[in-house]
Amino acid sequence: MTARRATGHPAPDTKPVRPYRYLLLWAELLAVSWRRAPLLTAMQFVIPAAMATAVIGGALALRVTVDAMIRGDAGGAVAGAAGAGLAGTAGIVLGALDSHTAGILIGRVAVLDLNPRVHRDITTLDGLEHLERSDFQDRLTLVRNAGWEIVLSLWSANGVLFAVLELTVMLLLLGTVNPWLLWLLVFAAVPLWFDQRGNSAIIRADLRAAAPIRRQRHLFDLATDPAAGKEIRVAGAGAELARRQAAAWDEAVRLRLRAQLVAAGWRMAGWLLFTAGFGAALVLVVHQAARGAGSAGDLVLAVTVAAALRQSVYTGVRYTTNVASAGRVIEPYLWLRDHVRAQRTRVGGSAPSPPRLRHGITLDRVGYRYPGATGPALADISVHLPAGSVVALVGEYGSGKTTLVKLLGKLYQPDTGRILVDGVPLDELETRTWRSRISATFQDFGRFPTRFAENVGVGDLPRLSDRERIAAAVREVDATALVDRLPDGLDTELDAALGGVDLSEGQWQKTALARAAMRPEPLLVLLDEPTASLDAPSEQEIFDRQMERSRRSAAGTNAVTVIVSHRFSTVTGADLILTLHHGRLVEAGSHRELVAVPGGRYATLYRIQAEAYAREGRRPTAAGAGGPEPDVHLRPN
Amino acid sequence: MAILGDVRLLAVALRAARAPLTVALALLLVLGALLPPAGAVAMAHLVGRIQSAVPADAALSAVALPLLVFVLVLVLGHVVDTAVAPLAFLATARVDGAHRARVAGLAAAGSTIAPLEDPQVRALIRAARADPENWTEQTPGAGAVAGLRLAGNLVGVAGGCLVLARYAGWLVPALLLPALLNGVLRQRDAARGIAVWRAGTLDGARGQRWQDVATSPAEGKDIRIYGLGAWLTARIQRHALAMEAPVWALLARTIPREAGQLLLVGVPLVAGYTVVAAGGAGAPVGSDRVVAATAVLVSGVAVFQALGWTEDLRVAVAAVGCLRATVDLASRLPTPDQGGASRPAAGTGPDGAARVRRVGPPLVRFEGVSFGYPGARRPVLDRLDLEIRPGELLAVVGLNGAGKSTLIKLLAGLYEPDEGRVTADGVDIAVLGAAAWRSRLAIVFQDFVRYHLPARDNVVLGRGDHPPDPVALDAAAADAGLEPVLARLPAGWDTPLARTVAGGVDLSGGQWQQVVLARAHYAVRMGAELLVLDEPTAHLDVRTEFEVFSRLAGNRGGASVVLISHRLSTVRHADRIVLLDGGRITENGDHDELVARRGRYAELFAIQARRFATGGRG
Ligand SMILES: Nc1ncnc2c1ncn2[C@@H]1O[C@H](COP(=O)(O)OP(=O)(O)OP(=O)(O)O)[C@@H](O)[C@H]1O
Ligand SMILES: Nc1ncnc2c1ncn2[C@@H]1O[C@H](COP(=O)(O)OP(=O)(O)O)[C@@H](O)[C@H]1O
Ligand SMILES: [Mg+2]
Ligand SMILES: [Mg+2]
Repeated sequence: MTARRATGHPAPDTKPVRPYRYLLLWAELLAVSWRRAPLLTAMQFVIPAAMATAVIGGALALRVTVDAMIRGDAGGAVAGAAGAGLAGTAGIVLGALDSHTAGILIGRVAVLDLNPRVHRDITTLDGLEHLERSDFQDRLTLVRNAGWEIVLSLWSANGVLFAVLELTVMLLLLGTVNPWLLWLLVFAAVPLWFDQRGNSAIIRADLRAAAPIRRQRHLFDLATDPAAGKEIRVAGAGAELARRQAAAWDEAVRLRLRAQLVAAGWRMAGWLLFTAGFGAALVLVVHQAARGAGSAGDLVLAVTVAAALRQSVYTGVRYTTNVASAGRVIEPYLWLRDHVRAQRTRVGGSAPSPPRLRHGITLDRVGYRYPGATGPALADISVHLPAGSVVALVGEYGSGKTTLVKLLGKLYQPDTGRILVDGVPLDELETRTWRSRISATFQDFGRFPTRFAENVGVGDLPRLSDRERIAAAVREVDATALVDRLPDGLDTELDAALGGVDLSEGQWQKTALARAAMRPEPLLVLLDEPTASLDAPSEQEIFDRQMERSRRSAAGTNAVTVIVSHRFSTVTGADLILTLHHGRLVEAGSHRELVAVPGGRYATLYRIQAEAYAREGRRPTAAGAGGPEPDVHLRPN
Repeated sequence: MAILGDVRLLAVALRAARAPLTVALALLLVLGALLPPAGAVAMAHLVGRIQSAVPADAALSAVALPLLVFVLVLVLGHVVDTAVAPLAFLATARVDGAHRARVAGLAAAGSTIAPLEDPQVRALIRAARADPENWTEQTPGAGAVAGLRLAGNLVGVAGGCLVLARYAGWLVPALLLPALLNGVLRQRDAARGIAVWRAGTLDGARGQRWQDVATSPAEGKDIRIYGLGAWLTARIQRHALAMEAPVWALLARTIPREAGQLLLVGVPLVAGYTVVAAGGAGAPVGSDRVVAATAVLVSGVAVFQALGWTEDLRVAVAAVGCLRATVDLASRLPTPDQGGASRPAAGTGPDGAARVRRVGPPLVRFEGVSFGYPGARRPVLDRLDLEIRPGELLAVVGLNGAGKSTLIKLLAGLYEPDEGRVTADGVDIAVLGAAAWRSRLAIVFQDFVRYHLPARDNVVLGRGDHPPDPVALDAAAADAGLEPVLARLPAGWDTPLARTVAGGVDLSGGQWQQVVLARAHYAVRMGAELLVLDEPTAHLDVRTEFEVFSRLAGNRGGASVVLISHRLSTVRHADRIVLLDGGRITENGDHDELVARRGRYAELFAIQARRFATGGRG
């Protein structure tokens, strides 16, 4: 069995996102915002415009005031001062309005539009790859709650636009004092540009620090988790983990501090250059004022504008930084959308599922390789699963049983070959309707953070709150006693993190089995090691009922039941047994046929277990199990 | 007074940034806050000089000094601003690092896990963990630095007032009082906002849990087969709305109130400015009044801005929430010292282990042990008596939920019995001390830990309180049959076991089980004498299972083994088998004895063996 290798690089499709895609995204977000809240959206343009006007108006008013005072013109001075006071007030009030309206708008678009869309994409994508690869997982973790940040990036971009606009107007204003001051435009570009360089150093460092930060978070989560806490305490690993947690944190801080210092250097250089230019401009203005060509008011204007200028450059830079760091979530967001689009076009299919199976399910030279894996998990599987039959899948761990089960559930697309349902290729069937006719319990079944009843009820959403049906499902999997013991019966909360009751491993498995019993008329029942953690009577009960159900369905939907099990006591009753080895189908037949194969794989595995239950019992010794190919851990690639 | 407490919390948190850094940062922030008033003064003098220089010619030299001062103030302002950023970053990082270490330390300190399972403690840990998941959460580091900034701003206000006082004393109260009032009103709104968002934290946490579900590969399969995508999306949204909608409503209600600022800010500002300007205009040419008026006009607004509601305040307040949760948490969890105190010298450190080894496997006794989970209807264990004899292989069997895993947790002292006691060689394990007792145990739990760390660490953390021992490591790998898995790892022992880590790989469930078995064998090699295996092979095939137990038989040395399994074919070879039923041990003996007794065990065994006995079908 091979380790699931990482490909080394994150993924083949992580080209840097092109700038035009940001623009398209913002245009789209703007349209969404407009549809969601036209008034609030309009305000995001009106308010910054008014704020810029207030800043510029304030500077002009100050000039008027100072000049009027010097002229001794009381009326003009009072009017100017009133204007300056109003402008200052407007700045404060508008600032508050800006943050409130933006808060509401961004929140609403994020919660009502963007996040649901991301969640829908994540949860309705046909395949599983985006969940099973931990590098993809990583992106999902970034993007799953990022609506706020993504929408914010639109308004940050808008903020950059307004900052630049404001900057230009202010410089033009300075130009009215003296055209030479227009050169300040060049000087204002310097800190913008330098700052940008510093910020990209910070963003790069943040990316590099992501690994130690993730490690730090992982160790912190382990230290505070009661389940992990058991093992950590017994192993006395607490101190060592704490040490590593601190070390990971320090490593991240070191990386990021260096970038912070570099950025500070750039920023300082930029501003010093700007101030040099600005100082020269002031000398010019003062000189002009002293020569009588200008006024003291001009000086006040120049200085006020210069201060405001610095503010707009700061604001511009801050918004640019917001936009740049939003790339952290926007890139995985766009990746997710591309991934979803690519998947959706790849897996189409619109044919309805048959109401009942006539012939069964046929696998025709089916092969599958996990992305990034060194060898195929399944190769060249051809077999017919007759309608109405119970099929058992056996094989050593890692032989491909679970993979085959997932292929039947259309959770993966075969790389080679086809799966036919009554002659119709599976990829031509509409995924949703096909799945609505499947009932499944997977090896790593889901545990939902909610009440027991809902944990079962999700197996048939339309009857999520049909307590009778749920109770029937519970009875069907022999879990009535379990429910009776729960403090609030069916309504017991199972989310331990929020104060619910924790179930034992086997109790969870029964819950998952009850979930699978909810669907009324499945065409295909998939049970992947459904009783691995169950006690003997429950296991027997489950299998007996399953057999009975499947026999009964022969008259109805004629369903195929596929059971993966390591317990041969339950496999023997199957109509068809398939033995997988290294991803290949090596034996197929009934129990009688297969035990009769001399030296056969099924026969060997069966013998190991049968002898273990035989009267004498086979004692595990250092000699090992014997039989063909004792080394089952490795798969040639 | 509550405010004083909050300030103290932030100040205490700031200690982790260490004095030199804090002082440097504070000085810079104060300097930065004083620069705008200083600039206003320099500018006023500049205007005054120009005014008096007109229409004389040699103006430039007359204004050179104030001009220089003014430019210097600008330069300083930039220098301070840029220097603050990295210092603030470092201070934040130090405070947060120390805080997270403290919270993790608090959680890890207690010797039992019962407090960690308390829902209130879990909520507090969530609130105190300083790993913001949404905009309502802030870290103590960010809060402490924001607090420093706020203090700096106050100094700035004082500086502004000084300027005002110098030129127009009456303006100080005229501007300061409404500014303070305005500030108080803004804070009140803000406090209301904070209360509203705090009320939503439970929904926030629930939404987060459902998002975990949406991105988990395990639930992912159920979500697809049962078509839960849209339902789940709606569910997440419901929690998000429950958390956010009240905040939006509150913000919307705040908007009209902002108009009130027009009065509180606008009236005094406009009035003050016009009076000052009129005075300036009425003054004779060359008088100081113009200088004064200019200074006032330039620094007046700043007073209102500094006293209003700022982002810094929001950050500081949110961070205080996190710190309060930490204080609360600390009072509910045992302090790290208590955990350490129960740790006697023997049994810790390598020499301790050596001493323990000489003792040999313990005789463990459960004496009338009762235990129930909080809130459960009936106890899981009910006056249970059980003996684990030195060197034996004891199997524990029982139905699902019988309490087998619970029994193991009690054995390791992870819960305290409600009644009765667990002894080792006659001594209550509570008296032995958790660390000393646990250094003699190695346990494979049903839900073992998967460290996102290199394979080597995943094994040696089985005995985390000893320096890694490479010889024992290799021996453990051999004991557990891990070598074939290792050979496949791209960087062998150094391969991280998570694909999120550079160069890492994901392992399958079966491979993980092998790694964890190696972890347990490592602990045995390092001196543990009681090995506990809770369903170690549930997902392994029969052959691998058989090999695991063959190796165990060969490699356990003198250690006692407790095995929990539903696969009775492996259980039957145990030296002794006990059946746990109804919270007690109801059957006890070796396989043959129990079968001969025709009790419950015999029944269970028969159920599994029946089909083999009938040779297949049936
Ligand atoms: N953390 C917990 N909080 C509340 N109840 C719990 C907790 N853990 C277990 N329980 C309950 O205690 C009982 C015993 O659980 P335990 O895990 O010990 O069973 P088990 O014998 O190991 O079962 P299995 O064979 O399924 O592993 C069960 O009813 C379970 O629901
Ligand atoms: N999500 C996955 N990504 C990469 N490789 C996988 C994944 N799941 C399984 N594999 C690999 O595919 C092979 C077959 O695995 P699986 O179908 O789970 O076997 P079984 O169910 O028989 O134990 C193994 O080599 C396993 O490591
Ligand atoms: Mg499997
Ligand atoms: Mg258990």
